[in-house]
Amino acid sequence: MPGAKATAVAGVKRKREARKPERRGSKAKPRRQEPSEEGDDAQADILRLEAEVLESRKHYNNIATLLQLAKDESLASEITILAAVATCRIFTRLLASGDMIKSKGMDQSEVLIVSWLKERYREYMDVLLRHFLRSEHASKQSTALTLLMRIVKEESKQKDYSWKKTPLTQTVETLILLEDDATREEFAEKFFGQFDDIRFHTFKIIKNFLASDLEISQKQRAASASLTMLLSLQTVPTSKGDIKNFYTEPQGKSPVSSLSVYKEQAQECWLATLRSGIDKNQRKSVLSVFSHQIAPWFPQPEMLMDFLTDSYNVGGATSLLALSGLYYLISEKNLDYPSFYQKLYSLLDESLLYSKHRSRFFRLLDTFMSSTHLPATLVASFIKRLSRLALHAPPAGVVVVMPWAYNMFKRHPACTFMMHREIQDPEWKEQIEEEGMDDPFNMEEKDPLLTNAIESSVWELESLQSHYHPNVATLAKIISEQFTKRSYNLEDFLDHSYTALLDNELARDLKKDPEVDFEIPKRILTADEGLNPLGLLLTQVIETR
Amino acid sequence: MPPSQLKRLKASLRDQGITGPQKSKKQKNSQSKNADQHAKKAAALASIRESFNPFEFKHLARPKKHDYVSNKPQDAKSRILGRPGVTKSQGEETRRKTLLPELSKKNKVGGIMDRRIGEDDPTMSLEDRMMARFEREQQHKRGGNMFDLEDDVDQFDLTHGGQALQFDEDDLGEEDYDAASVSGSDEDGEDGFLKQKKRRRESGGEEDDDGDAEEQPERKKSKAEVMKEVIAKSKLHKYERQQLKEDDDDLREELDKDLNDVLAALRGHMNKQTAAVEPPKEAVKSDFGINPDRALLLEGRAREDADKEYDARVRKMLYDQRSKPTERTKTEEEKAKEEVEKLRSLEEKRMRRMKGEPTSDDEDSEPKNPQDEVEDMDIIPDDAAEFGLGASIEQYSRPDGVDDEDDFLLDDDLIASDSEADLASGDDSEDGSEVDDTMAVDEEDDFLESVRPETTKQSKAVNGVLTVGPDTSSKLAYTYACPRSHEELLKVFKSVSITDLPTAVQRVRALYHAGLHAENKDKLADFACALVDHISYLSNQTPAAPLVVVDSVIRHIHSLSRSYPVAIATRFREHLKQLHASNDPTPGDLTILTAIGSIYPTSDHFHQVVTPAITLMARWLGLTSPASTKDLATGAFIGALCLQYQRLSKRYIPELIRYTTLCLKSPHTNSTLVKSHTQNILTAATLWSNTPSFIEIFTPVLTPLLAASQKATHHRLTILLQASRQARRPQILHNHRALPIKSNIPKFEESFDPTKHYDPDKDRAEAAKLRKEYKREKKGAMRELRKDANFIAREKLREKKEKDRKYEAKERRIIAEIQGEGARDRNDYEREKKKRKSSK
Repeated sequence: MPGAKATAVAGVKRKREARKPERRGSKAKPRRQEPSEEGDDAQADILRLEAEVLESRKHYNNIATLLQLAKDESLASEITILAAVATCRIFTRLLASGDMIKSKGMDQSEVLIVSWLKERYREYMDVLLRHFLRSEHASKQSTALTLLMRIVKEESKQKDYSWKKTPLTQTVETLILLEDDATREEFAEKFFGQFDDIRFHTFKIIKNFLASDLEISQKQRAASASLTMLLSLQTVPTSKGDIKNFYTEPQGKSPVSSLSVYKEQAQECWLATLRSGIDKNQRKSVLSVFSHQIAPWFPQPEMLMDFLTDSYNVGGATSLLALSGLYYLISEKNLDYPSFYQKLYSLLDESLLYSKHRSRFFRLLDTFMSSTHLPATLVASFIKRLSRLALHAPPAGVVVVMPWAYNMFKRHPACTFMMHREIQDPEWKEQIEEEGMDDPFNMEEKDPLLTNAIESSVWELESLQSHYHPNVATLAKIISEQFTKRSYNLEDFLDHSYTALLDNELARDLKKDPEVDFEIPKRILTADEGLNPLGLLLTQVIETR
Repeated sequence: MPPSQLKRLKASLRDQGITGPQKSKKQKNSQSKNADQHAKKAAALASIRESFNPFEFKHLARPKKHDYVSNKPQDAKSRILGRPGVTKSQGEETRRKTLLPELSKKNKVGGIMDRRIGEDDPTMSLEDRMMARFEREQQHKRGGNMFDLEDDVDQFDLTHGGQALQFDEDDLGEEDYDAASVSGSDEDGEDGFLKQKKRRRESGGEEDDDGDAEEQPERKKSKAEVMKEVIAKSKLHKYERQQLKEDDDDLREELDKDLNDVLAALRGHMNKQTAAVEPPKEAVKSDFGINPDRALLLEGRAREDADKEYDARVRKMLYDQRSKPTERTKTEEEKAKEEVEKLRSLEEKRMRRMKGEPTSDDEDSEPKNPQDEVEDMDIIPDDAAEFGLGASIEQYSRPDGVDDEDDFLLDDDLIASDSEADLASGDDSEDGSEVDDTMAVDEEDDFLESVRPETTKQSKAVNGVLTVGPDTSSKLAYTYACPRSHEELLKVFKSVSITDLPTAVQRVRALYHAGLHAENKDKLADFACALVDHISYLSNQTPAAPLVVVDSVIRHIHSLSRSYPVAIATRFREHLKQLHASNDPTPGDLTILTAIGSIYPTSDHFHQVVTPAITLMARWLGLTSPASTKDLATGAFIGALCLQYQRLSKRYIPELIRYTTLCLKSPHTNSTLVKSHTQNILTAATLWSNTPSFIEIFTPVLTPLLAASQKATHHRLTILLQASRQARRPQILHNHRALPIKSNIPKFEESFDPTKHYDPDKDRAEAAKLRKEYKREKKGAMRELRKDANFIAREKLREKKEKDRKYEAKERRIIAEIQGEGARDRNDYEREKKKRKSSK
């Protein structure tokens, strides 16, 4: 019941003065919806029990009763939640007042009470972690999370607390093994994403947890959960000043001692997660945010070389995505990737110009091909291959290839023979006049240095000058005009699509009278007898409807 | 080597006549008497002293050692680089004027601020100041804005001799609109001002006494007055011009009136009637027979009269137009030739549009393409926008419409009964765009005839498309309400059987012909839009309407498109938008696409309807994979339609090949579908056989063709591929003149000046210039500040000294006073003492 949950959660968070009316409110609500006397009584009982405990130590036994109530699966979830919340309040009070700490001067009975209380506390933790967090009720889970995090906060105020002992460890471990994502998302959103100390310790906990012995299925589930949590992190701290959001109120030194330690933990956590094995889609999502969200966390991004290289070798979209990460390592960390261009060349396949990662790829391709020291044979192969692909590509693909090819021709004048080759040798000329010629370019060749593209011509680009779309056709004409412009800004051509082309045209109003054909044809779909081919085809369509 | 200082001094003294040979006493006396001489001497001495002060002028630090040739006039000795003394004293003076008052005002509160207008502004002359103050005063008096239009009271009352100057309404009018009001009354040519004067004189004698005030020199005119005068003058000119024009018009009219007579006179026989009206014309008539002079003599008229008449006559003849021969009726051959000519020009225009060139009649209306403008203004933020790929830039390649109806060729047999068609294909009036004008009255009868049952039958005989029996049509109603939306259309045609639809449409068109009523234009436009909706509706129905009917409706829409291109095109585009949103073409959408292909010139480089249509089809082909028989059939149709679109322009559609290949491999295919797809491939191959990459385009199709066991097509395609290989040549795209190789020869500057900067980088040069200027300014400002500080210190010191001096003087005075008093007291004491002593 979301209403009850909300008020219950709110009740915990409120200060003491605000609590009383709140409690009344929480009582009032279920009463309206659930008029059973029993539930009402139970709630009143819980409140009474709680009040008694707070009144004097005599009633400490009430804690056990409350725990029983909270544990009882047969009861309605609101009652158990209320019991849990009440117990939480009792324990936070006890923790704050120091009633749960053994000290030297205590007599036997006091020590006994403290140890008994500790026992109950452990039991309570168990209830929250086992019964609540793993329960099927979303409200129970959410309450458990809030209560646990509240206890974490309380405990951190203790003198000699250590993070290892806090319920955070168990909470996180339970969370990443949970089947449904809602609570984990709540945790990621409210705590993990917001507070640096929680994040820091969660990194540690996840790393340790993944390193421990787990079953394969458990490990995979944990890894994927950890991955979603890690991917939800948007920003990366860049200086010590960025680390300032703390959940706990540290008494001594800051819970996160330095940026490098922080990042170290993040890196460890990432590596642990990646090592646990991720599937193709996860790999893609990791790769797609690599250079912005992941690499900055790593003090030593070199650790990811193997991961990237492997991804790059997978082929298809994964390779396209891995390219940017690889570029990051190559340019920043001096990674040496053997036969990089050969691999890059192999990425140019039929699906490239249809791929949704097209613009991303072309951005990088532009960077990789920007050197003027690349061999002309290699550049020619790229140009020729992309022209070939453009011949069967959608307009948006052609629109990218054209200016790119222009820039390449401009940068590598040796390649311009592909557009203009006058044959000087009379024998050869005669031969060509007689027999025509084949395209010297070898599309099957994997090595861009051996394709012989430089001997070929870009007939494909010329063909595209008569593309059906006027804009594309006009753009294709840049190849056969004088190369006076220094370069085209590729960025402007990247993100086009059918939809954009159509929207662009259909959205505007008619400014001029449209031309109408001067001749009204005598037949459109019909022939002298019956239908013409077009009419027949239309009938076919109508029949298959 | 310059002479020594002493020698120079002596020389200059001698030059001035101060020293010289000794003079006799007499001479001296006579000179000394002259006081003038004394003053002269003093002045000369001062100038000499000045010229010998080494700090008065700034020269070069040391004189040049060698004289050398240069084009600059150099007179090293006398060359004065600056006058530090003068500048210093000037600076001092300005500081005293500006800084000193500020200084003395510092830390003081209160005082009197001089707010008189222009008092502190040295740029205003005394008169300007007075004028400004006067204006302000007037404004205050009025208590409002002088440009307030609401307030129509004249703010300035001009006075003369204490009396307000008032112009009567007509008086003013005459003055301002003199020329306009004259209208031929020449005796009224007197100046308005003179008239005024006259009237004033008449009004009373005492004013004459004041008249001498006018003789005083005129006051300088204020700006407002000057402007008023200018405006009045320009108005006057304007009216004069208008007057002239009117006169001309009058004259012309007069001439026109007489035109018939003149014509008659020219032909040699005078109209009897005019002869009766104007008896003196007889003389005129005789003019043509004999010498005018002699005639005059005979008539005994005054010479001037004759001259005048002669002039008028000549002028009239100048205006006379020569009669033109009427147009001869054309022969059949000539008509045919004209027709051919027209066709040729239309085809030419189409070709131009296909190439994306602007059509000739747009060139004069639109001097520039938007793209050119954009390039000219150099504000292309986006390279892609140049190619129309940007978000907001206008399409530049839009070929534009020739909206004359001359451009339409109609089959006579389509809508023979439709007078509109007759008019268009027949004799067009000159302004064919106006439908109303084309509606001639005599043709209307024919047109209405055609609606009658007998003629309907006949028209149907001509109209081959309509295969509707005569008896069915006779049952049809002859009048319908004009449907203005698709819903209305459905209602109106509810009772009309589907086969009769074309006839009904034809009748509606005839009934609401644009020429019959002004509103009919709108009605027909809406009707046309409803028809567009209707063809889509017809095909979407189950069972679909016979294509014959659709065919004929499309042709009706086509012919209506000539008159209402925008409305219909917009409707088509609406349908395209819907298809764009759904991307699932229904048979109705396909019919719309077919109609677009038949109505609009699909070969245009850009067309507002066709381009989106083909893009939509290509998108469907590009993004769909054939998953069912329906997809295959739709694909076959769209493919065929695409090729139909490109039958003239032969443009390449990559998606078509992709989709057809996929279809051939598809498991849902059947023999008919395979056949249609194969047919598409063949058509495409024939269309694009000249494209340079024919081999690359069609080689991938070969395998699927074999797989679909289309041996014949495979064979033909192989032959075409062979031919293409035969025709393949290395690409030669850049036949234009080669771009010059970049030159690395340094650029030599003629007449190089080392003090100038020759930075080829404009920005950098600009920046350097700015930097330098900044430095100079900074230096100047600092120097000024330093001087200011010195001045202030000096002033303060001076003040302090002044104060000290005053204080000292006061002190001394007081001490002296006290001392004086003391002495007197002592004296008194002494005296008293002595007295006492003496008294003792």
